[in-house]
This record gives sequence, structure tokens and C-alpha cells, in this order.
Amino acid sequence: MKDIITKLNKAFESRIRLAIMSVLSVNDAVSFNYLKELLEVTDGNLASHLKALENMNYITAIKQFIGRKPNTSYQITTLGRLSFQEHLNALETLIK
Amino acid sequence: MNTQQDDLKMIREMMEKSSKFLSLSGLSGVIAGVTAILGAGFAYFYLLRNPAMTNYTRMQEIMILLADASLVLIISLGVAIFLSKKKAAKTGQRLFNAMTLKVVYHFAVPLITGGLFALIFLFRGDLQIVISSTLIFYGLALVNASKFTYNEIHYLGITEILVGLLAVLLPHNNLILWTIGFGFCHIFYGTLMHFKYDRKK
Repeated sequence: MKDIITKLNKAFESRIRLAIMSVLSVNDAVSFNYLKELLEVTDGNLASHLKALENMNYITAIKQFIGRKPNTSYQITTLGRLSFQEHLNALETLIK
Repeated sequence: MNTQQDDLKMIREMMEKSSKFLSLSGLSGVIAGVTAILGAGFAYFYLLRNPAMTNYTRMQEIMILLADASLVLIISLGVAIFLSKKKAAKTGQRLFNAMTLKVVYHFAVPLITGGLFALIFLFRGDLQIVISSTLIFYGLALVNASKFTYNEIHYLGITEILVGLLAVLLPHNNLILWTIGFGFCHIFYGTLMHFKYDRKK
């Protein structure tokens, strides 16, 4: 039991981070605005969680311009995918 | 234990919500079906049942059929957009986001191909090919777009393809088959989707 609990990733304790990882795990690249719409959170809140995940190298930000507007989209990294999968497995074993 | 269960539920929801277009309204399918039946009825009773009744030239007949079909398409699409927009607003989403564009693109490629194909044969006066090809290409478009939306769309697409192929085999009944494909199949699947997804919420 203790073993499983330690496998739960502390980085994903926040619901918003979990939601971000869920969305990124099934989509190629997702824009900041689409994430905001899906998660129904404020700009600042979303940005700080994205930054945290980025610092852990779980996701990467792709910055580009569409016309004159800056547009940032996010992608999951291999490390992020593995960690998220591990976290999911731990959650599932806990429920059983 | 409950928090883990909630976590998993939320994860599943987020994965589905972000990768599927779920604002499609079932009711719009029903209305599209009724419009198609009215359109086919008009074409049959006004023109095709007894061509001697009216004295249009061949070209005028083609133009009337084209206008009839276009009107059906415009009304169906208009109602679908309107009702889906309402459904999206109910769940706090905008109708046009990255996901919608993906669905529209995958739907439009086979549909526009089929539309142009059918148009060429309409002007050659070959109604049989027009009827079966509109059904077949529409079915292919639905199957193609169904990866990003409800499962019913996949089965509706398969049904349209089968009805279209049947229309090739039974050229004398193909206006009836067109009415079944675009009319009754839409009403059936639209009703199904309405009760399965729209009524509950």
C-alpha cells in the first residue's frame, strides 16, 4: 500500500495540472485559449500551473505569432507522458 | 478513496471533452431528415412523376432540382449550426474552437468531392448517379468525421453508404432510397442522439 502511494506523483496533486495533462495526452498541441475554455480557469491560474509543469519538463511551450497576435500552444513531453501514465496506473490500483 | 475516483472521472472527461466535438445536436438531425423528405417530395410530385405535366426544358429541370437540393442543404446546415451553438452555450463552450475546425475539415473533404462529382453528373442529366453518389460520399464524410464525435455518426455514415450502394443496384427505386437515406435515417439517428445525449442534461 505504501508503495503505491509513493508512486502517486506530487506534481499532479492539483486538479488543474491533472486536467492539463489529460488534455495534452490525447491532443497533439493545444493552445492556451483552448485550454482555458476547457478548464474554465482564469488566465493567471492556468499560466502558473503551465509554468510549473514546464519547469518539470512535463510539457513544452511553443510560441508563435498568428498574424500579429502571440499564440502559445503546449505539447506533452515523453517524460510527461510517462509520469502521467505512472500516476494513472497508481490511481487505478488504489481504487481496486 | 473518493478523491482518486473523482480524479479518474475528471481525467476521462477532460480527455473526451478535449478530443471530441460533442456539441452536435440530435434534433438538428431530425429537422434535416424532415427537410430532405419535403425536398424529395417536391422533386417527385412536381417534376419526376410526370415530366409531361410541366413544359420545362431539360436545363430548367436541372436548375430546379439543383435549387431544391441546395435549399435542403442550406436549411439543414443552418438549423444544425443554430442548434449546436445553443447546445454549446448550455455547456459553457463556444461552438467554433480548434476541435470544431478539425471536424468540419474532415467532414468537408469527402463531402465537397462528392458534391462536385454529383454536380457534373447532374448537368449530364444522369440522375441515378447523382442520387447514389450523394448518398455514398455523404456516408464517407460522416464516417471520416465520426472519429471526432459521437459513435452514432459512424453508424449513420455506414448506413448512408449501404443505402447509396443499394441505389446503384436498384436504379428504379433510387428516389425512394434517397428519401430513406437522407430522410428517415437522419430522423432515426437524430432521435436516438437526442434522447441519449441531449435530454439527460
